[in-house]
Parts: sequence; C-alpha cells; structure tokens
Amino acid sequence: MNLRVCFEMRGYPPKGLSRLPSSGTEEAGSRDSGRLPSYSPRLAVAKFILQRLLQYLIAGALLIASAPGAGAAPSAQAILAASDTIRNPDKPFALTVTLVEYRNSKQVDSNTLTVYSKADANSGQFRSLIRFVAPARDANKLMLKNGNDLWFFDPSSKASIRLSPQQRLLGQAANGDVVTVNLAKDYQAQIAAEESVLDGDRQNRRCYKLALAAVSADVTYHHIEMWLDAGNSRPVKARFYTESGQLLKSAYYRRYQPQLGVERPTETVIIDGLDPNWVTVMRFSDYAWREVPEVWLQRDYLPRFKPE
Amino acid sequence: MRALLLLPLLLLLAAPALADDDDAAALLLADKTSTTAEQSSDWRTYIEAAARESRRQGGGPALHGARLSLDARFDKGFAPGWRAVFADRLDLNRIDGASGNQDVNTLKEAYLSWQLQPDRVADLGRINARNGVALGYNPTDYFRAGALRSIVSLDPASLRENRLGSAMLRGQTLWTSGSLTALYSPALADKPSDSVFSPDLGATNRRARWQLAVSEKLSAALNPQWLVSGGAGQSPQLGLNLTALPNDATVVYLEWSGGRARSLAAQALANRDDSEFRSRMSAGLTYTTANNVSLTAEYQHNGAGLDQAGWDALRRGPPSAYGAYRALVANLQDPPTRDQVFLYAVWQDALVKRLDLTAMVRYDGADHSRLQWLEARYHWSRVDIALQTQLNSGQPGSNFGALPERRIWQALARYFF
Repeated sequence: MNLRVCFEMRGYPPKGLSRLPSSGTEEAGSRDSGRLPSYSPRLAVAKFILQRLLQYLIAGALLIASAPGAGAAPSAQAILAASDTIRNPDKPFALTVTLVEYRNSKQVDSNTLTVYSKADANSGQFRSLIRFVAPARDANKLMLKNGNDLWFFDPSSKASIRLSPQQRLLGQAANGDVVTVNLAKDYQAQIAAEESVLDGDRQNRRCYKLALAAVSADVTYHHIEMWLDAGNSRPVKARFYTESGQLLKSAYYRRYQPQLGVERPTETVIIDGLDPNWVTVMRFSDYAWREVPEVWLQRDYLPRFKPE
Repeated sequence: MRALLLLPLLLLLAAPALADDDDAAALLLADKTSTTAEQSSDWRTYIEAAARESRRQGGGPALHGARLSLDARFDKGFAPGWRAVFADRLDLNRIDGASGNQDVNTLKEAYLSWQLQPDRVADLGRINARNGVALGYNPTDYFRAGALRSIVSLDPASLRENRLGSAMLRGQTLWTSGSLTALYSPALADKPSDSVFSPDLGATNRRARWQLAVSEKLSAALNPQWLVSGGAGQSPQLGLNLTALPNDATVVYLEWSGGRARSLAAQALANRDDSEFRSRMSAGLTYTTANNVSLTAEYQHNGAGLDQAGWDALRRGPPSAYGAYRALVANLQDPPTRDQVFLYAVWQDALVKRLDLTAMVRYDGADHSRLQWLEARYHWSRVDIALQTQLNSGQPGSNFGALPERRIWQALARYFF
C-alpha cells in the first residue's frame, strides 16, 4: 500500500490541472484594480469550483509530502517487515516441514517436522516447538527454540538437553532459521539497488535488493542480502553472510500458494555457501491456525507436549 | 603478459556466473524433488541384534555373546486431555559360560496422564521421572537408584533410556515461566526380582519417596530448577540444576544435590551412623565446533563416596566388604570415590554424511583408573549399524580396573519399524 502511494506521488500534479491559473493572484489583482469581472456568472462559478479543487489538491499533496518517508524511496524497513508477514503468519500457527538434503545431486537425507510457532509479544520474534516426525529413529523427539534458548527433548530417555545455537543435533533442522524469523526485528535494512533478478521459478522479477545489517550480536547471520518483489514485497531470494563476508547460505523462496489467507512461499531451496553441491529443499504443507499457549513454550512442558 | 593481467579480471567476472550456475542446478534438483509429508506415529519400535567379544582382566580366552532386543514405545492421546504411555524392552542374551536364563524384560514406563487444563496435569503409573542437566553423573536424578535392570551399553544415553521408571502419582502445574511438580512414590514390594518378565517393583519401589521440583525462568539465559526430595529412612535432599549460555557455541551447567546423609561406606557395610551434610555435584561445559563436534568436559564430586585413603583401605580389606560397597554404588549409580572426570565427544556426520562418532572417557581421581568407550554409528532412515569398543584399565581393585572385562567389542544392527 505504501508503495502505491509513493508511485502515484511521482505523477503529481496532473498536467491538466497544472495549466490552471493560480488561485489567489487573479482575485487579488482584480480587487486591486477595482474592476468587476468581465466574464459570465456561469464561468465564475466554474472558476470558483476549479480554484477550490486545486486548493484541496495542493493541501492534500502537502499533507502527504510531510508524512515520513513519502516522496522518497519506499522505506526499506517497511518492505522487509511486509516480507516477514508473507513468510510468517501473524497469528500462532502450525505447519509441516519436509526437508530433503542433497550432496552432489544425490539425496542423502530426509526429515519431516511439525512446527508450532508463536510470535513473542515483546520481541516480535517467533518461538517454536518442533516435533520430529520422520525418520523413525527421531520420531517424537522435540526441540524448543526461543531465540538462542534451545532445548532438545528425547521422550525415550526423558532427557531435556540445553543446546547452543551452534549445536545442530538433528541435521538440517537448523535451516528453519531462514524461514521462521522476523528479520525486521533483528536487522536494519537499506535499499541497495532496484534490479531484475531470476526468481526461484525462473521468472524475471523486478526486485528491491535490501542490505540487512544485524542490530544485535546474538543473531546467526552478520549481514544478509535480500531480494524482495518490488510490487508486493514477496521474498524472492537471500544470501546470508558471516561477519568476515563469508557466504553461509543462499535461499530461494518459491512455489507461492495461498496459505492462511496470503500467498506464501511453500518451498525454500537452500544452497550451502561453502559447498554449493550441498542443497536442502524445504517444503511447507498443512498450514493451520493453531493455538499455542504460553505454557507450551518452556523447557518443563516438553515432556507434556502431545498434540492431537 | 597481458593475458596474465587480465586473468584476475576474468575470474572476477566469472564468479557471479558460477554462482548462478550453482543456483540453477540447485533449483533443478528442487524441481525433481517429490515428497509426501510423512505422518506422525504413536509408536516407536525397533529390533536390535548385537554380537560381542570380550577379554577378561589379566588375559585368557576371548568370550563371546549375542543379544537380540525388542524395544517399543507407545504414546497416544486417547480422549481429550487423556494420554497413555507404555515403554518396554526385551533383551534376549546368550553369553559364553553363563548358565541359566539371561533374558531380561524391562518395563520402563506404563502410565496414564490426565491434563485437566493446559497448565495442570496429573500422572499415575510407572514413570521414568528423571532430573538433571549433567551428562555423565546426575546427583539430582533421585529415582535412578535400582533403575538399571539390563545394561547393554555404558553410554550415558543408553543408561538413561534403558531403565525402569518408578510407580508414582505425579502432579504438575505450569505457568508461562516455570512449573511446580510434586510426586509421591509408595513402597510396593520388598525385594528386587530376577524373573524375566517381572515388573520388578522391588527394584524401584522398595520404600516410599517424594519429590518437589520448581523451576522459574529468571532471564533469557538463566532457567534454574530447585528440588527437594525425601523418603523413608533418609533426610530431605536439596537439589539445583542450572545452565547458562556464555556464547553461541558453549553451554555450561551445574547440577548439585546436598543434605544430611550417611556415607556410602556406612550404608554398604552397616557401620555406625555417620550422617552429616554431604554434597554431590556435576559441573561441566559442552562446546560445539563449527563442524558440529560437541565436546563435553565434566567434573563429578560424590561427597558420600570414599576419599582416597578410605578407598585404598577398602581395596586392601576383606573382599566381601569391597563387594558389598561396589554392589551398593552400582545400584545407586554413584561413583565409588569422591572425584571423577568425564569427557564426552560427539561428531555428527563425521567425514561422511550419516556417520556419527562418539567417544567417552571416565577417569577416577582416587586410583587413576580409566574407562574408555568409542562408538562409530552409521545410519540410514530405518537402519543403524554400530561398532563399539570399551577398554577398562587400572590397578586390580581400582574403580575401572576391577570390572571383570578389560576389552569389549560389540557390533550391532538396529531396525526401526
């Protein structure tokens, strides 16, 4: 919506109106000269209406121009926030994630997870309960992710183990952080370019290229390049970097489908930065609004968690 | 010369093209991916076959053994708010020179759970109520005594999983930043049973016990748990579990339990009551490297165990006293001496995908004996194969040197249904 306003402002004022006489000077001039108007009453009424219309338009334009960010390039932060809401529903939800991992074009692993997610009212960040569905050896194991507070629970041993963010206990599940994370909360965005890129479905797409810089030290990626559709803020692709500029992973957000009322990407293709032959395909299905009570999102609830 | 000067420029120009090629290849791979999301199951069942070879301390011929195990876990919500949990394991053992039936069934859990509201839950039945954030020794795991019925591996993960729960009534109330749990476990039998299919309540419910546990998240980084546990014939013991995250790669933890208690020697040898305040503690850290190797170093202290002088005296004394002491500490899953060091390393996807390497060392500070254990495990989606080796070294009568076997090799295959 912001984008539309900005683009319309570029065309103002319309050419037809710009040729109209300015409102105040002629009237003042006629008073100063002491002469009566020489044209007909109908013409005078028409002129009055046009003058008023012009006044309103100018006042309206000034009002819009005085609004923050208007008249210039669209706010990068607003575009990023809009893209966050496309990737992540704005209410607690559940979905199934299927991860398929390839090395040198050969499938080497596959996992299925069910994710229950809810945004924190204060930080805006998502807290997730992840239940492993497949393979059978990991079935019903759980992971709680609340920022950097990570707990793993194995129902067979009843062991709740605290993990560090670097500890990847069950393969590529860590890639979830390129999906359910509200980037606008942790990164400062700037528009680096407006360019056409080939999206994940191989369509040329006009995009804003955003440069994201971490605002706090406890995030996984120091900086990110993100391409968002200039027309609707949909995430198209992203590149995630370390502080030293090393590319960690690239992601393509694709296969947009209507899910929970919005067109959302139902597949993310992740390419490892160091080894481009290491590819992970994440597919999202079974989207559903799901109540996630606050008491679920803590270590002590892990042994209790048993969704229907 | 000009060509050499142009080469870096050409390489620079080629870099984005290469990245685009990689991206295109990855997208092509994704196009070909056909997946149907698998459905969750209430069951987790596997069958495991193992063969082992061992040599006794001091040499002698190799001993051989074989095992076939069936392990099943069932967890189902059968009505709104109601849940049934059942976990059982059957080990069929054949060991060289062992007479009689060596088969063991372990009824790990069998309980009903009733969730009155999202934040109020009650459980009744045999429950594996396990506490503790440490990896190698859990002083606050008050229901570990008598819980091991069939030991198939000394890997702490295996010891945690293959054990008996205790029969109990448990209630829990939760709030957004913590919970309060109370449980009562009554005395139900007088002595343990060797019968193959016995639920063996005598091993876990020989005396009445209770426990209160409260946890409260004090900050994003600090989430302590406090415990009080007691029962017939013992003073209440206080417990604390604490973890912290000093950086993205490290978890530090502290597990402590303390209270008035008799020494283990006094309990084992029926000596005079020497009750005083005694502490048990595990403190350690787990550091994970960039290539996903998790290294844990843990210091363990057992204030009720023997100090070096007492341990030396016991080893020199009557074998019956030594045997009684070792049997008690093994049953309680306590170290026999005061100070131990535990090292544990896990390397997932070591060198090749799906290969996990695990190494463990237990070191006794009193007699310098060591237990070393190593496992290589390769897994497919439904099948695991593993090779394990264990070396128990030390002087005769030392903590690990007294274990009957010096070297053990075990190969196993596991199939998940």
